Amino acid sequence: MTPYAYFSLLQGAGVTVALSLLGIVIGVPLGLGLALVRWARIPVLTQVIAAYVSVLRATPLVTLVLLIFFALPSIGIPIDPIPAAILTLALNTSAFNCEIWRAALIDFPKTQLEAAQATGMTSSLAFRRIVFPQIWRTSLPSLVNEMTLLVKVSPAIAVIGVVDITRAAVRIGAETYEPLPPFLAATVLYFVILLVLVRVQRSLESSTARKFGSA
Amino acid sequence: MTIPTRRTSVAPGKIALAAALCLTALVGIAGWQKTQAASLDEIKKRGYMIVATEDDFKPFEFVQDGKPTGFDNELLAILRKSVPFEVRQEIIPWTGLLAGVSTGKYDMALTAVLITKERSQSLDFTMPIADATHYYVKRKSDDSIKEIKDLNGKILGVQAGSGLLQRVPELEAMLAKTGGKIGKIVEYTSYPEAYQDLAIGRTDFVINTVINLQALVKEKPNVFALGQAVTGPSYPAWAVKKGNTELLALVNDFLAKQRANGTMAELEKKWFGKTFDKLPTSFTPQF
Repeated sequence: MTPYAYFSLLQGAGVTVALSLLGIVIGVPLGLGLALVRWARIPVLTQVIAAYVSVLRATPLVTLVLLIFFALPSIGIPIDPIPAAILTLALNTSAFNCEIWRAALIDFPKTQLEAAQATGMTSSLAFRRIVFPQIWRTSLPSLVNEMTLLVKVSPAIAVIGVVDITRAAVRIGAETYEPLPPFLAATVLYFVILLVLVRVQRSLESSTARKFGSA
Repeated sequence: MTIPTRRTSVAPGKIALAAALCLTALVGIAGWQKTQAASLDEIKKRGYMIVATEDDFKPFEFVQDGKPTGFDNELLAILRKSVPFEVRQEIIPWTGLLAGVSTGKYDMALTAVLITKERSQSLDFTMPIADATHYYVKRKSDDSIKEIKDLNGKILGVQAGSGLLQRVPELEAMLAKTGGKIGKIVEYTSYPEAYQDLAIGRTDFVINTVINLQALVKEKPNVFALGQAVTGPSYPAWAVKKGNTELLALVNDFLAKQRANGTMAELEKKWFGKTFDKLPTSFTPQF
């Protein structure tokens, strides 16, 4: 492999990290929002979100990105490859994140909420002070788990012309007729990215443990 | 926001109903395609056309040191100078390419699209840009394959979704003459993987166009050896959405000029190692 080949893989890594991060930054809070609406049993919206989650979890990423990229312009919404890729990743991960947050909310002890109400806390104050710090700790491992999955399914977005790590490796293999070396290098890059993610999780976990005591 | 003190539950039947509605809407959106890609008038009015090329289809189009290159990319550079509007290029994998042309996202597939009967239903093809008669390639060290009849029962590797699978009956007929038949067929998402598996012995031969295989054998003469033709004549061309006749005429005119002034022959020599002097000006596929 030429020095440029390594450089192009690193560029691909930049794209993979940037798009996955954006997907996560949008998808994690969106998932929380969706889970809260379901938790609060807001009529109609609750059913719509349940359907949204069911459909998105069942849609393969390649299908979703092709739909967004080729179908949205057909109904008059032009979209470029990069925004389409970010939207795809965010929508996909938000469905899974919604269920992670919801699991933590379902399991939240209602006695604590009753105690908060008894001391006169408003709903939003109780959420910020009582509910969120606890469901955050419960959900973190599952959320990071979903993030690692998202990074690894992200090569699907290459189908609309976004050059991520895997596509960069394909290009090198196609030029040299030797696909194995670039794919091995790509594997190392994915490994490093996931290692960093897990490190972040560990440090977040230990900092919350210091703050609130171990779970 | 109200915080409920009871667990939320939604009736499963309602979820299923809502999910079904959402799915129907999605499918509806997908099926609702633009009926018309940009016509030549529209292209001239907006000032640009969009062509789609591939990135892993050596020697037609591939990426070298970050720059798209190959036979088609050189033709594209000349096309840009000879039309009165801008030509924008999108580089996307084969999987979504033809879908992009038939939905009108791209005005032309500027890649070697094999002219097939099935594709002719949704696409119009320019005049052929090369000869794509199919050959087989084998491991150089494999002495058991010397001619077509030796392919009897051997494992074949091809790219999934390529026009080639439709031509397999031709090879079947050739083998049947000597009492042989086709062995297992393994499909790959792209050719580089098919070649890799051939090299390590998971398959016994790979079928692709003579051009692609010559380029492969030139690059790896110690690993692969070119065999014989396994199909009748077959040609690749550029493709526009069916019915976009004015754009097709403009591009055909451009290609005819490149053939007449010798540019085409020069590029063929450079990228394919040989020239195609007897290419037809149009081709009606049998398969």
